Amino acid sequence: MSIFVLQVLLGIMFLTIISLHLIETNFGTVIAYVIQSVIITLLLLNSFFETNNFSLLIVVLLTLIVKVILATVFFTGLIKRLSLNFSVSNYLSMPLTLIVIAVITLLAHSNYLSALTNIIPAQHSLLALSLAAIFMAMFLIVNRKDALFQAIGVLSLENGIVAFAIFAGLEQSPVLQIGIIFDILIWLVIATVFIRMIYQHFGSLDTSLMKHLKD
Amino acid sequence: MAILIILVALAGAALITVLATDRRLIEGATLLAAVMALVEAVIVSQTVAALGSYDALTFFSVDSLGALLLLIIACISLATVAYSIPYLRTETAKNIISYKQVQHYYLLLNLFMMAMFLAVSSSSPIFTWISIEATTLATAFLISFYNKPTATEAAWKYLIINSIGLLLGFFGTLLYFTSIEANLTSGFISWQGLAIAATHLDPVIARIAFIFVLVGYGTKVGLAPMHTWLPDAHSKAPVPISALLSGVLLNVALMAVLRFKLITDLVIGPDFTGHLFLLFGGVSILFAALIIFTQKNYKRLLAYSSVENMGIILLGFGLGGLGALAAVFHMMYHAFIKSALFLASGTIFLNYSSTKIANVKGVLTAIPITGGLFLAGFFAITGAPPVGIFLTKLSILAIGIKTYPVSTVLVLLLMAVLFIGFLKHTSAMMFGEKPTQLVATKESVWLILPPLALLVIVLYLGFWLPPFLQILINNVAVQY
Repeated sequence: MSIFVLQVLLGIMFLTIISLHLIETNFGTVIAYVIQSVIITLLLLNSFFETNNFSLLIVVLLTLIVKVILATVFFTGLIKRLSLNFSVSNYLSMPLTLIVIAVITLLAHSNYLSALTNIIPAQHSLLALSLAAIFMAMFLIVNRKDALFQAIGVLSLENGIVAFAIFAGLEQSPVLQIGIIFDILIWLVIATVFIRMIYQHFGSLDTSLMKHLKD
Repeated sequence: MAILIILVALAGAALITVLATDRRLIEGATLLAAVMALVEAVIVSQTVAALGSYDALTFFSVDSLGALLLLIIACISLATVAYSIPYLRTETAKNIISYKQVQHYYLLLNLFMMAMFLAVSSSSPIFTWISIEATTLATAFLISFYNKPTATEAAWKYLIINSIGLLLGFFGTLLYFTSIEANLTSGFISWQGLAIAATHLDPVIARIAFIFVLVGYGTKVGLAPMHTWLPDAHSKAPVPISALLSGVLLNVALMAVLRFKLITDLVIGPDFTGHLFLLFGGVSILFAALIIFTQKNYKRLLAYSSVENMGIILLGFGLGGLGALAAVFHMMYHAFIKSALFLASGTIFLNYSSTKIANVKGVLTAIPITGGLFLAGFFAITGAPPVGIFLTKLSILAIGIKTYPVSTVLVLLLMAVLFIGFLKHTSAMMFGEKPTQLVATKESVWLILPPLALLVIVLYLGFWLPPFLQILINNVAVQY
């Protein structure tokens, strides 16, 4: 793929993470994550075409199955079964959230982190955008009160790191990548079960209500 | 082969817990797997002491630090399994848990132990990461084991905070791979390969990568200010699991940090990582000291003590030289004593049905042997002679005072605060009149033996070290 196409794909992924800060529907969150994961799958597919490493194709297929198909099944199933309505938003107000997003994006593109974004100088802009996606996902997890958003934030953080690794040429051996995807699958299952447990115990996914652990 | 035997034994035990319908079979299989793990861990450790390392297949490689941790995991796992059997039986008899929960417990316990063994014997940083992440996944349901709102809250906090931490650690790990030539990155990168390639690592990237690794894995170690999950998780998990979490898992995560410290030091020298260790170590002790007096729950009290002790270990490694040697000893002693304390606290819980300090009085009168064990554990963990922690703390402070006199005095004061705070709570629990409604029951020898064995081992190691263990400890201290 040309740099332009890669930039467009990463741009879309970046926008999905921004949208996760703004979206106020649970299904919208899942769609945003699935779009991200489709892009990650395409980036890995691109690596396969560039290297002709057959085992990478297995990684691509597993990524597609776990992050796109199963994540959609688990999360939408959860939303439907519990009839979840979007109920809570951010800790910070929307203007403040947007300011932090802007600061994070600037920081990722600044000279302070140029050592990271210049790992492969030709990929500078892609690496900076991936780094911004990583920071943005972290901010999403701490800023959102909803457990579903927090779970998707963790998965987005992982997507951001994978994107960074691809553009920095730091892909690991396929065997280990399969191990990582397996971990993600288990994480996905566990997070889904816990979200259901939180709803059953607290009647809401608002994690700011969970303040019973002081004693 | 020995590592494979450990893994196969634990996997087999896990399988039996799924298939078997007889409780005794599940307990027996888990106990047998833990015994086999200990025997094989001793064999591996002796091999490492003799040959320097133990390698099996491509994926497994055990150095001195790995071997030491293998032994610690194996010993404490066996004590935990041995304690779990009577503990869970008592809880079942009291209708606190069902048979299904017991089955889940042993399944997850076996997977948890397996993940820890994998983490310390892995030859690759990514494989180590996968294994440490697997420990999070295996233990999340153990923390929410009692299915109460507070347990779910603690487990969710644990899952999210540790997942973020481990992903940051993963990111830091990937940054170290920039030292490997591009055409090799699709291959399998080992710890050894990473150390060899360290000379090609950009010093600035090495610094950034280490910060990510320290913050990331440091979250799992329980270092302040990323420690917030630790008291919640340790207080809500079943007691034997708390013993494993506090005594063992924290050290497994610390191992990853230490390995990256070694690689970073090859690139930029030991000052940068040393100073960060001192900073995080000091802050951890400070956080623990600030919170100790206000604690209302004795399991949280023990958890905060772990934050303190991980801080002390970090100080030792940060100072280097003899400080590192003291840190290795401290790591070992803390693992055993803290596990013993948690196990003793389990028996207190079984008798008092409460983890609140205010509800627990007169333990020495009601359950004298357990009370004695808890008290002995308290004195041991706070550094009373002749237990080894006294010497390790003293050594770290003695080395620290030469280079950082003011900070060391401050740390000493914080340690004093922690001692007084811990003493205040412990004496409130141990002495006084036992509650009138408390029916004194005969203390089960099976609940006494595991913590007693752990404390005896610590006392014994304070006077005599088996030669192979001495070699391992020296190697770790020299290397790190």
